[in-house]
Amino acid sequence: MKKMKKFIAAAIAAGTMMMLLFGCGKREEQQNETKGYVWVSEYADFNVEECDWIDEVVTLGDECYFSTSRYDEEKEQSVTSLYKYNLLENKAEKLNFDLEENSSIYGMAVNADGNLAMLINQYEYVEDEEGNVTDVNSKMQLCIVSPSDGALIDSKEITEVLDVPQETYFQYFSIDGQGNLYLADGDSKIYILNKDIQKVCEISIEGWINNMVTSKEGDVYIAIYGNEGMELKKVDVAAKKIGEPVQGLSEGYGNFTFRTGVEKSLLVSSNDGVLTFDIQSQTKEDLFKWLDVDINSDDVNQVGELSDGRIWAIIREYDRDYNSSYQLAFLSKKDASEVTARQEIVFGAMWIDSDVKRNIIKFNKTNSQYRIIVKEYGEDDYEAGLIQFGADLTTGNCPDIISLSQLDFAQYANKGILEDLYPYMEQSGIKKEDYVENILEAYDMDGKLYGIMPSFYLSSTAVKKSLVGDKSGWTLDEMLDLVEEVKPQYVMSYDSKESMLYYCIYQNIDEFIDWESGTCHFDGDQFIRALEFASQFPSQEEVNYNEREGISSLLHDNKLLLMQTSISSVQEYQMMKGMFGEDITYIGSPSSDRKGNVIQPAGGSLAMSSKSKYKDGVWEFMKIMLEAEYQDSLVNEHGGFGFPIRKESLEKQFEFDMKADYYEDENGNQVERPKTTWGYDDFTIEIMAASQEEIDEIKALITSAEKVSENADQQVTNIITEETEPFFKGQKSAAEVAGVIQNRVQIYVNENK
Amino acid sequence: MHFPKSRKKEKNLQFVKENKKRSGSNRRTRKGKLISIGYLFPSAAGVLLFFVLPFLIVIYYSVVDNPISNQFVFLDNYVMVFQNAAFQQAARNTLMFSLVAVPLAVVLSLFLAMMLESRIPFKSQFRTFFLSPMMVPIASIVLIWQVLFHYNGMVNEVLGVFHIDKIDWLNSNYAQVVIVILFLWKNLGYNMILFMAALSSIPKDILEVAVLESATPFQIFWHIKLRYMSSTILFVTIMSLINSFKVFREIYLLKGEYPYDTMYMLQHFMNNTFSRLDYQKMSAAAIMMAIVMVIIIGILFLTENYFGKDVEG
Amino acid sequence: MKIQEKRGRGFKGSELDRWSRLVKRKKKIKHARELVRISFATMIAGCFAVLFLMPIILTITNSFMSASEISANYGQVFATTDTGGKVYISEKVNLKFIPDMVSFSQYITVLLKSPEYLFKFWNSVILVVPIVAFQLLVAMGAAYGFTRYRGRIKEIIFFIYIILMLMPYQVTLVPNYLVADWLHTLNTNWAIWLPGIFSPFAVYLLTKYMRRIPVSVMEAAQIDGAGEWQIFRKICMPLCKGAMCSVAILIFIDYWNMVEQPLILLTDQEKHPLSVFLSKINSGEIGLAFAVATIYMVPPILVFLYGEDYLVEGITYQGGIKG
Repeated sequence: MKKMKKFIAAAIAAGTMMMLLFGCGKREEQQNETKGYVWVSEYADFNVEECDWIDEVVTLGDECYFSTSRYDEEKEQSVTSLYKYNLLENKAEKLNFDLEENSSIYGMAVNADGNLAMLINQYEYVEDEEGNVTDVNSKMQLCIVSPSDGALIDSKEITEVLDVPQETYFQYFSIDGQGNLYLADGDSKIYILNKDIQKVCEISIEGWINNMVTSKEGDVYIAIYGNEGMELKKVDVAAKKIGEPVQGLSEGYGNFTFRTGVEKSLLVSSNDGVLTFDIQSQTKEDLFKWLDVDINSDDVNQVGELSDGRIWAIIREYDRDYNSSYQLAFLSKKDASEVTARQEIVFGAMWIDSDVKRNIIKFNKTNSQYRIIVKEYGEDDYEAGLIQFGADLTTGNCPDIISLSQLDFAQYANKGILEDLYPYMEQSGIKKEDYVENILEAYDMDGKLYGIMPSFYLSSTAVKKSLVGDKSGWTLDEMLDLVEEVKPQYVMSYDSKESMLYYCIYQNIDEFIDWESGTCHFDGDQFIRALEFASQFPSQEEVNYNEREGISSLLHDNKLLLMQTSISSVQEYQMMKGMFGEDITYIGSPSSDRKGNVIQPAGGSLAMSSKSKYKDGVWEFMKIMLEAEYQDSLVNEHGGFGFPIRKESLEKQFEFDMKADYYEDENGNQVERPKTTWGYDDFTIEIMAASQEEIDEIKALITSAEKVSENADQQVTNIITEETEPFFKGQKSAAEVAGVIQNRVQIYVNENK
Repeated sequence: MHFPKSRKKEKNLQFVKENKKRSGSNRRTRKGKLISIGYLFPSAAGVLLFFVLPFLIVIYYSVVDNPISNQFVFLDNYVMVFQNAAFQQAARNTLMFSLVAVPLAVVLSLFLAMMLESRIPFKSQFRTFFLSPMMVPIASIVLIWQVLFHYNGMVNEVLGVFHIDKIDWLNSNYAQVVIVILFLWKNLGYNMILFMAALSSIPKDILEVAVLESATPFQIFWHIKLRYMSSTILFVTIMSLINSFKVFREIYLLKGEYPYDTMYMLQHFMNNTFSRLDYQKMSAAAIMMAIVMVIIIGILFLTENYFGKDVEG
Repeated sequence: MKIQEKRGRGFKGSELDRWSRLVKRKKKIKHARELVRISFATMIAGCFAVLFLMPIILTITNSFMSASEISANYGQVFATTDTGGKVYISEKVNLKFIPDMVSFSQYITVLLKSPEYLFKFWNSVILVVPIVAFQLLVAMGAAYGFTRYRGRIKEIIFFIYIILMLMPYQVTLVPNYLVADWLHTLNTNWAIWLPGIFSPFAVYLLTKYMRRIPVSVMEAAQIDGAGEWQIFRKICMPLCKGAMCSVAILIFIDYWNMVEQPLILLTDQEKHPLSVFLSKINSGEIGLAFAVATIYMVPPILVFLYGEDYLVEGITYQGGIKG
């Protein structure tokens, strides 16, 4: 017995030691990883002209083959061509391969002989006498093409061998090491043919196939979204089934793409970065993050590996008008010493706006002195992220640039974390007067500017002018009085008990809380009135909005009183006006100071850390967001979302909105034509040029807004939503729940005093 | 009751012996002392680095305006926190809770221990059962307490059978009752084990003599058992006090950052000020709490010394 | 010395023999009353036992429910709003002990389909076992230091230990973060291990036990020529075996259920132990929660069952010599 215990004790001790060693080893590994080399990007022109879209890319050594499609405006149809691209020499060669009419390439792969195998679908419309299409005959063909010149080596029809429904569309096509062909239709089945084009089997799959790839070892794998994220499973031809998920790779639901690896089994690229994965040992090696090599992962079109270890990527960038251009990027490992070290500016964010991201990448590409590194807090856990951020602030690891999205800026400003930006503006000659002042001052506290909001919109509530007159805002009581007076069938288009109560209070917390004296009045008459008002509406579960008439007809018939809306573009304003069918007042949500139109950032808002070592560098970046170039890029011919904060740019936007589009009618007269069409529920409107009055009205609305939206009182709204439920469910009286809310919120108020 | 007296004599005798020994090997003692400090050293060093140093940092935080600008403000934070209504509420609640829950835990677990001491069947099984709450994962605990004490929960349903109006246990003055029950449920078992052990270690001979001398059960309990267990009682009290601070996690998971005011504890105050980066407030509150704790534990030590001296080994 | 003591007891015992016969006679009369008392006590103990056992039984039986049955039952208890607030439980909820249909789907998911939970389980083991082992080691030394040659300074240090032990975790969390940052252990297991290993908790408990060993025992050994190491190794260690075991159980259970430390000190979610997951179950995950919780209970229960006798013995010992 004693021996046994000793043995157990020894075993535990040994186990512990092992674990400790394991822990140490792990740590060292991480340290080794940290640099010694860096990944650097170089760009090259993408030498394929006339391509709107690239699909079906396959690699063969250092050459890649792909088909492109381009819309030929003259012929009014899309043209497909096959390209061979020598990546080492950056030379493109159009292969002499023509698709027959009414054909499309479903998939492309390299077969065992090193030739290109193409899966081609040929379809034929069956028309009746009147020219209507009644049926489609589709044929599936397998073409073998020489990679050197695109000459057709062999072609076989495989429609009958496959025996699939007519409309089957094959999304994925791979060939394994033994020459078996794998065709996947995306959602349910994989069809496997052997190299003699005999059908081997069909395998049914649960879930959506996201990708199919041949590993370096010659096995075919599929990627499926499972319960816990992306799962990579082997297609087992011998057993005619799908294997168990491969361990060690899965990391959530990131947008993964795969390519056959050069050294390891697979090259995997995600939204985050690029890694190699070895299936045998289940180990992965992170190569780089897209952000670290100054590439926006949203723009990455294709990724592959070269024999010299470099990674190539086809990048497709869109400008604001959705015109795209292709670029080729080569990423290579360089010794850290070779790369000129730049000062690292940390950009901390709970959530990063895509426009800001684009600007960071641009900044990193061009700036020789600084480089911005993005640190995202709480990617999956907001609260943990906040705690981490707080800890970083106190330990002096505060990010240099702080994204104010989802943060309460006043709280941080009060603690001296944020730097006053006015002096920097002055220094670099950026005049306050050039910007919409009240919007700029949204982040102004006591004459200090703690953040910038490069673009914005307003959130508001619209109501017929005939009902409220020229009022620019209202209190809760005024709102409730109007509802009682008008007695509309519906107060809002989405009016559950919960959302109506939320509407009554969310911009109006100050009505119930007196922060000065630290008292709150949730047990007062007014809150109870709001509660009783909200309880008339159907509850969230009962309400069925689909049964209602269209919104615009409800508005016309005075059956619907209010519309919660945003003012994010002139066109949206025009549409709202059209929908009401008469003049409207943007009265905003109820608030005690009658200022219910709230400023919202349309992109990311930025602040500078007062503890930053590189304040000049930080400002250099922030300045970009305020300068004409970026501000003008926000101006959008089609309306867009959000207004630029720079006055001149804003005026440019308004000019666009007021400029009419003309066309020439048969008589040669210039006739105004609609710029675009907007639709909302049952309502559509053709947007014409805006009038000066409309623009003036929007300007007035913009200049009258003061408050910036904040989610500081989330605690209060959380308590209210939780505790009002028993009243809405008829289990407690309004006074009872008001009492509980009063009690809990009072603690919050006291604590914050 | 002459037995304790005679033991005292024995002890005195021992004391004389010890004294003799001590004078005999002074040098060795000094060496031994040094070595004993050596044994203490690793722990002391670790505690210094991972507990005392952080505590000093807390003290530092409590006298600056905030941990970012670090302006020295002396006692301002203490005054501010002390005057804060939420802090006062929290301190009151915590004190009340400890004053009710800790003695209750001690008394009830002593009661349970004495009950199990009598020759009831399945003694060791019961012992195991009573300890089981220690192992239940927090998710299960929170689920059960929600289901039991929610407005639409099981307790109200049972009360409904007796035509008693529904009580909103977690949102009324009953809230503290609920957390006291939760606390007792979690901690009675361990305390009971401690008491059972202490009870079984009271020399049987003394008890039997007492029975022979027709001492009432109450006398036996009061004069003998309690005395012999005084150090265990102190120990259980301190353990309960520690665990009474841990009940915060359950309250937090039940009702979030801002529960009904009778459930609002000092830990809520600290937790909330912490997540709002008001470390100076949190630190000042923590220091004040530490001071009160020093006083309470000091008093406990003194009482133990007073009561338990004549039986201490 | 030991022999002497035994002899002394034996003597007392024989003296008491006569008395105990007397006692027995008295007891017979009381027997009937005693029986009532015992059955009454058993009943009360039984009631308590049911209350105390309920959660464990509930957790285990519910782990055999299918995910849909669980969400149907308790879904609203764990639901949260979009903004992270709690949701009011608007319908009657009952604890359901017996599954409608026994299903192993939870276990299959946890054990086979999603390795994530097993990874986290392993994380828990890696975090907790070294803490228990080394905290005991360090604490044994410290307890010995506190026990031998007690003096004013040592008493003060011991008092400081107690105060530090009583500090709620929120207080020292940020400073701990600072220290970890300074030692470059952030986001490594060391950030959890080091403060755990040096926690004053075990020191306090073990010192309490060790001080119950009569000074005379140690001094006798000293006179016999034993050095400090030998006294520690040959007297304190064996005598405190039970105590060590019971303290180990306590530490194990304490750290096995830790939530806050990993949440802050380990930024990498992959390193979090399972307890963190169990502490913030929401309605989406509740279907798996009970199976995870049951699996998570296995090690503490094993540790407990293995060490249970020590738990009582360890504490019983305190008086055994004291008397």
